[in-house]
Amino acid sequence: MSAAMPLGLSSFPVLSIITWSPFVGALLIMFLARRNAVLVRWLAVVSTAVSLILSIVIYVAYDREAAGFQFYEDVPVVPPLGINYQLGIDGMSLLMVLLTSIIIFAGAWASWTVKVRSQEFYALLLVLVTGVYGVFVSLDLFVLFLFYEIAVLPMYLLIGIWGSSGEVRPQGIFGWAFGRTGVGTKEYAAMKLTLYLLFGSAFILVGILALYVANDSSSFSFLEMELGQFDPRLQSWVFLAFYVGFGILAGIWPLHTWSPDGHASAPTAVSMLHAGVLMKLGAYGVVRLGMGLLPDATLQWSWLVGTIACINIVYGAFSAMAQTDLKYVIAYSSVSHMGVVMLGAATLTEVGLNGSVYQMFAHGIMTGLFFALVGLVYEKAHSREIFKMGGFGRMMPGIATAFTIAGLSSLGLPATAGFVAELLTFLGAWQSTYSWWLIPAVGGAYLTAIYVLRVTKQIFWGPQSLDPHFQNLPDARGPEWAALWILVFVIVLFGVWPSLALALVDTATMPLLNRLWVLQ
Amino acid sequence: VNGVDVSSALVLEIGLAILMLIVFLVGLVMPAGDKRRVGVLTAIGLVILLGLSWRAEAGTEIFNGAFVQDELALFAKRLFIVATLIGVLASLPLRAAAFARRATEYYMAILASLLGMLVLGSARDLILLFVAFELMSIPLYYLTGFLKREPEAVEAALKFFLVGTVSSAVLVYGLSFMYGIAGTTDIRGVAKALTTGHPMLLLGMLLALGGLGFKIAAFPFHMWVPDTYEAASTPFVAWLSVAPKAAGFVVIFRLYLEGMGDRVLFWVPAAAGLATVTIIGGNLMAIPQQNVKRLLAYSGVAHIGYMLVGFAAVSANGAAMMLFYLVAYLFGNMGAFLVVEAVAQAEGSEGIAAYRGLAQRSPILALSMLLFLLSLGGIPFVAGFWAKLYVFWAAAEQGLYWLVLVAAVLTVVALFYYLLVAKRMYIDVPDRRDPIPVAPLLSFCIFVCVLGVVLTGIYPKPLVVAALRAASPLF
Repeated sequence: MSAAMPLGLSSFPVLSIITWSPFVGALLIMFLARRNAVLVRWLAVVSTAVSLILSIVIYVAYDREAAGFQFYEDVPVVPPLGINYQLGIDGMSLLMVLLTSIIIFAGAWASWTVKVRSQEFYALLLVLVTGVYGVFVSLDLFVLFLFYEIAVLPMYLLIGIWGSSGEVRPQGIFGWAFGRTGVGTKEYAAMKLTLYLLFGSAFILVGILALYVANDSSSFSFLEMELGQFDPRLQSWVFLAFYVGFGILAGIWPLHTWSPDGHASAPTAVSMLHAGVLMKLGAYGVVRLGMGLLPDATLQWSWLVGTIACINIVYGAFSAMAQTDLKYVIAYSSVSHMGVVMLGAATLTEVGLNGSVYQMFAHGIMTGLFFALVGLVYEKAHSREIFKMGGFGRMMPGIATAFTIAGLSSLGLPATAGFVAELLTFLGAWQSTYSWWLIPAVGGAYLTAIYVLRVTKQIFWGPQSLDPHFQNLPDARGPEWAALWILVFVIVLFGVWPSLALALVDTATMPLLNRLWVLQ
Repeated sequence: VNGVDVSSALVLEIGLAILMLIVFLVGLVMPAGDKRRVGVLTAIGLVILLGLSWRAEAGTEIFNGAFVQDELALFAKRLFIVATLIGVLASLPLRAAAFARRATEYYMAILASLLGMLVLGSARDLILLFVAFELMSIPLYYLTGFLKREPEAVEAALKFFLVGTVSSAVLVYGLSFMYGIAGTTDIRGVAKALTTGHPMLLLGMLLALGGLGFKIAAFPFHMWVPDTYEAASTPFVAWLSVAPKAAGFVVIFRLYLEGMGDRVLFWVPAAAGLATVTIIGGNLMAIPQQNVKRLLAYSGVAHIGYMLVGFAAVSANGAAMMLFYLVAYLFGNMGAFLVVEAVAQAEGSEGIAAYRGLAQRSPILALSMLLFLLSLGGIPFVAGFWAKLYVFWAAAEQGLYWLVLVAAVLTVVALFYYLLVAKRMYIDVPDRRDPIPVAPLLSFCIFVCVLGVVLTGIYPKPLVVAALRAASPLF
């Protein structure tokens, strides 16, 4: 399976270095940078820069003609059980690794102002990133699961210690429960997010064990399982287990409720990473494990995945409209956009699946930018209440411009990455068996335009707020610019030059779809 | 007797009896006010005994097969001795005057109970099994009420004693049916008689399972656990929560799995049902606890449920993975109790509120506790993860996917209450800044438990191999 390696990268464990470089950074931060806040930040930036540079290197070096999994590494870990540290990367995971690198590199800059216990903050953040990389590059389901757990757990402390509590007014039929559970506080959000995601991981574990046992308990290798034929009845329930397990992380309705609370309470870099990358990790899991290993079940259940995705798009958009807290708006828009990702995958068409993967990337960058900006606004104005703020465009033109660009990408304006992704997904929906999916999908894009433009107008371009707290606010400065520039640049670059990613993604999606089409 | 040297099969039991005599005699000549150094002697003796257990040879039978020293027995005995050693070492810094004055009694009772466990590990005869069981149990009642001036301790001891004797009665009632139908007290004979499928024999075995359920504290036979744990001294509880339960599981192996062949499938519904209710019950009842000892008590009930998942797999793999689970549970659970003891000695409270901001007061103690809790919760790279994974795998091999799913989902509930403790330690702001003083021996024991949890978590293979070898004679 290991294809010819260009540039002599065949013997160089490049994927391991990308994955573990942040982890080494975390160790250095814990042991070397005691109480030296500046050194902590530079260690974080350097260790993530190593991953970013190597990600760009493999993006260039990946052999698009040969396709398949490349930069293969294989070390037996627990041979009697068939557990191997097996890494490899194809077009889809390569794009996700690139996304992770960009977001965490920008996130390291965006967290420059974390003051409380910053050493532990950066260490946990970097451990978390190692988990994320690990899920994208591992080809052994067991190792993948281990990395998945690493990607979930640090989140509890990151949100619980460095998060912020929002105001949630008790309302609705469950209003009585709000006060008792502490909805809106960071402790509540941290616990909810962790428990939801671990609940999902229980399903994933059962699914993986079932495939392992069905494969004669010989190997957890993705490549070996891909060759095998699983019993359709087994496939059917294992697919549902994977769909629920990874789908929780992807924010599928009605299991999405951890996401707005969690993202709204998390500190900036964690929101960026979580909404930008971890939710994609869920979608990636459904596509890679669910669709990649269980073709019969994919055909059987695609109607369910697509229909729930449509609910996600519309429900998320309406929920976002109803919010008065800026961070909740962005968080609900993620739920809506993740619906687009899942819908593209469910179409089982070439354009649709390409659009889905492209949307993972585009939405990751865009929502990362959004959360970075919300963090900046909060830091300057100490408010997330949309309708109290106003006219910030005059005081912080840089932030306002970046926010507007992110917003335009979010609603799918041409020349932004969001446009390409949504267009491809809509085309896929139209070509699919269920062409009515197009209606909620396009409707969702329209609703997105309403809430995004309304928020942008209110906060940045509307009349100046008279509140004395909101006078003479500074614009972004120093390291914060680095985060904004990187993300805006990527949004526009991939908006005007989509084939940068599409040619790559196509090499991964076509083999996957060919297996499905043979069955149809 | 069958040409086998009796002393070689009984080497550990004889060694322990000698140790008890020495402890007793030395205790007599110690000054009346402070006999704590007896504990040091006990600990040294146990270390020697542990070394002996690696010289002991597996595969000997004496008394016509009533006493068998096989791989399973040796694995279990090492586990008992390690647990006892940690419990004894952690008891040395106990400060109450009663522990200084009556130290001989305390350590003698622990050793007597250990002797019961050692015999139990080898017993393959119904009568020997029952006698050993009582030898193990009776000192436990006494130890629970050791602080006889404290009403809670007396209440807990009485509760434990009543429940314990009733369960012994149920157990021996079940054993009598087995003898009545099989016509022999040899467990292998009972296993053979099971082919007849005689309903009274099945009833007897189910009754015995109920009696054992009390001992291992499976739901709904767990009522004695939280009160007993809360009232008794913590190092003793740490030991109580592990060693006697491990002994109970060895009995389950001998009675229900050994030499059964295909007939083990009888037990799948009962074991799976018991596992399900135990996991659900233990985890749900742990949620509202505000006392960490009670919380660990209920979570311990849930852990028994997870081990029963391995029993429900009724396979060599399942039994081996239960043994692995027991070791992981030993280090994780004892470690957690010892941290409770350390905090209680400094703060005078076993409440969850005493842990506020522990991470900023004593970062290493907090990290140890976090590792124990994560291990108990089944998080990767600490021992508990592999333990859960392996029992799940064993159950999945038998097609018990629904059981695996229920058990895996309930681990999330468990993590909820473990994380509540973690939240106190890491997220809450401490009232005071001074570090918590920990007695050197206690920190040594905690360190040993951390080592056990982390090393097993990073490199589980040797232990898995050992557990598989230990379970191999069963099938």
